[in-house]
Amino acid sequence: MKKKRLIPILLLRNGSLVQSIDFSEYLILGNPVEAVKRLSEWAADEIIYLDISGGEKFDAGRSDLGNAFKRTFREVIVDVADATFMPMTVGGKIRNRTDIAERLSQGADKVSLNTIAFDNFRMVEEAVLEFGSQCIVASIDYKEIDGKLRAMVDGGTRDTGLSPQSWSKRLEEIGVGEILLNCIDRDGKKNGYDIETISEISADLKIPVIALGGVGNWEHFREALEKTDVDAVAAANIFQHTDQSVYHAKKYLFDSGLSVREPMLLSI
Amino acid sequence: MGKRVCILDYGSGNVRSVANLLRFLKIDFVLSNRVEDIETASHIVLPGVGSFGSSMKKIQDRIPLEALGTEVLIKQKPFLGICVGMQVLAETGTEFGLHKGLGWIPGRVRKFADHGLPIPNIGWNTVLESSGNSLLGEHQKLDFYFVHSFVFEVNNQKHAIGTTEYGEIYASIVRRDNIVGVQFHPEKSQKAGMILISNFMNMR
Amino acid sequence: MTMEYCKQCVYPFVSVNLHVDAEGVCSACKVAEQFSELTDEFWEEKKKLFERTIETINLNNSSGYDCVVPVSGGKDSYYQVHKMVSDYGLKPLLVTYHGNNYLPEGDYNRDKMREVFDADHLVFGPSVDVIKKLNRICFRKMGDMNWHAHCGIFTYPIIVAVKFQIPLMIWGETAWDISGMYGADDYVEFSARVRHEHGLRGYEWYDMLDDPLDPLEEKDLTWLKYPSDEEIIKSGVKGIYIGNFFKWDPYTHTKLISKKYGWKASEKEFERTYRRVSNLDDRYENGVHDLLKFIKFGYGRASDHASKDIRTGYMSRDEGIEMVRKYDHIVSSDLQHWLNYVDMDEKEFWQIADTFRDKRVWRIEKDEWVKDNIWGEPSSYGPVYSRPEGF
Repeated sequence: MKKKRLIPILLLRNGSLVQSIDFSEYLILGNPVEAVKRLSEWAADEIIYLDISGGEKFDAGRSDLGNAFKRTFREVIVDVADATFMPMTVGGKIRNRTDIAERLSQGADKVSLNTIAFDNFRMVEEAVLEFGSQCIVASIDYKEIDGKLRAMVDGGTRDTGLSPQSWSKRLEEIGVGEILLNCIDRDGKKNGYDIETISEISADLKIPVIALGGVGNWEHFREALEKTDVDAVAAANIFQHTDQSVYHAKKYLFDSGLSVREPMLLSI
Repeated sequence: MGKRVCILDYGSGNVRSVANLLRFLKIDFVLSNRVEDIETASHIVLPGVGSFGSSMKKIQDRIPLEALGTEVLIKQKPFLGICVGMQVLAETGTEFGLHKGLGWIPGRVRKFADHGLPIPNIGWNTVLESSGNSLLGEHQKLDFYFVHSFVFEVNNQKHAIGTTEYGEIYASIVRRDNIVGVQFHPEKSQKAGMILISNFMNMR
Repeated sequence: MTMEYCKQCVYPFVSVNLHVDAEGVCSACKVAEQFSELTDEFWEEKKKLFERTIETINLNNSSGYDCVVPVSGGKDSYYQVHKMVSDYGLKPLLVTYHGNNYLPEGDYNRDKMREVFDADHLVFGPSVDVIKKLNRICFRKMGDMNWHAHCGIFTYPIIVAVKFQIPLMIWGETAWDISGMYGADDYVEFSARVRHEHGLRGYEWYDMLDDPLDPLEEKDLTWLKYPSDEEIIKSGVKGIYIGNFFKWDPYTHTKLISKKYGWKASEKEFERTYRRVSNLDDRYENGVHDLLKFIKFGYGRASDHASKDIRTGYMSRDEGIEMVRKYDHIVSSDLQHWLNYVDMDEKEFWQIADTFRDKRVWRIEKDEWVKDNIWGEPSSYGPVYSRPEGF
């Protein structure tokens, strides 16, 4: 049968790979391409690359580095795609179909749309027709406001007025291929996923759902895979902290009897 | 003649990734739709991402089908279609309306039946190869990365040489003599993809 | 373009891996704040996690040693070993990379370790000819003559751990202290990626071959080759950081180890910093190696030390600024020592060094290198020997 996927998320901010806490604090980890090479060596199932930059400045300005810092997100994507043989989804600042075509030609397999899906859903409908629904991932960031869950856009700052449940249903109707469901409140907190919401939404939708937000240890992956219908479990920060992280995470899940790919190393 | 792959570039495919994989495996290749390149290649690859109908249109517009037909159907050069590049080998496809395919392998492309599982089918799954074939190496079983909502229903079961289960058992590898189609993405399937491509290069 | 500095410590915005927030406070300060707010309960939990962690890592350890501790003989080394031997009764194998740059006090401290601790001690030193070549190659390539030491320290002990099949490796201070790369609650292990990117600037042994002026062969660099993922997984080697589980306070540590073990600080003052307890294992770390940091990015060791001390409350920002003013720019006398060591003349040194000047920091006025200072007006810092691209 099809395996559940374990997906590392890489956050790119102004040219550097970062960790994010609460969508507001960022700690610089280093070179984005190097990190992906490692994930590839540990046979990650796929990766999602999100550009969460502030301004346009990407210059690390250092002439003493062996692996050059790239100037733009585009160059990073090309380098990442050339260095790895696994699926890659690219997201962040995608505003129109030209942006999508560009990302795909640079080597991305899928694109992730967030704010634009809310501001211009017609664009998303057209993108689905042009590129196929399997190319289009809709990313939903949500948080609790006054006791209710709300889907947010613009990096978690603007309220759509919709619950993640109704917003995801709407996106499914528009024809997107997957939903990346991210709980802002749990971002960086290491307390586990929002199992309740993930469970509800993954049971309700016919398209695959990827869970994100809150992973602190491998147990949290297991919890989501055992208690919900989620198709994939994702995390950002945790994969950057230890060597062979993906391998160990998979081994833990595989040894627990879950339907995931067997842990392996690619000696590339 | 040394081995050389012609990767057909009709604007509907992740050609870069296929090229990267060949480059990594040190396989000589050219990205082209030109008749000369199709004629001088030893192997031909047709990648594909997108919908059946729009891909067929682009193929008809940009690829010299007569020359391609000669090289593949008559001269029997090893041919590999990937994802939509495999689906267009069928006679018809029903994605966004009824469309004609190349018709090189009898059958039709239709949507997954509703088995209660998420569609599109996105993720890694096992491909079992039937005996008498050697694309998947000694165990005849490997996991590949799939991303699709439509499947190839062959008229002749003999042509489904690789199968996968996702709600139903469907053809993940089709083959008629020198013509091979894979529903999954070898260029995105790490080691498994490398094994498949290497074995494809050993065809003929 | 003006240089900007963190509002709380004295780091310039160009500091390696630093992220600065909207209020002008740097990530290292934010993480330090996080650390200072940690409760005793937090550290209690961490201690228990540490104990569980070392037990798990050592589950299949049949090597005879309880752990490998990479040591230089410095204050941190002593503290790490003290913790393992004194608090946990472990038998470590100490491993030292000897880069040939020890100060006399450093030699003394290093050699004393197996006297004062119940531990075996492996000291490894590569061929001096190879080291000198690496000094020159890396100075030309990346403006860092001490790259061999970074590589040796972050590679050789792991090679030993894998070879001897000793899974547990004990490191000390965490990389995030300097730039705030990780938060207080992150569980972090030694990783090849961090070593490669941040320790070694993206270079590896294979980048050191075939230099036309200083040719080296693969067999000269065996000690620089990091073990493969397979070897690491097979041997189960994992490196953990004491600073991840216990409060890290270098001044308290130094007092303890001096008193208990007779550890010696430097008898002489350093020229480029006010601290006397750091970097006795390598005479260039506070000297010409650090001078290159100043040449590149306009800040030096004194900024590092002052920023750390400001964050832990040992110094005020004004005092820190005074330290920066006094020490950051000093061309220390070990420059001559190094030039003799590698047989290079001073003019060539400055010509090469200048090629690494960072455009965000430096400008040329009247053939001199000028930059803004943290205390206000800009000043010049010496003549221009060569003009890199863009200047």
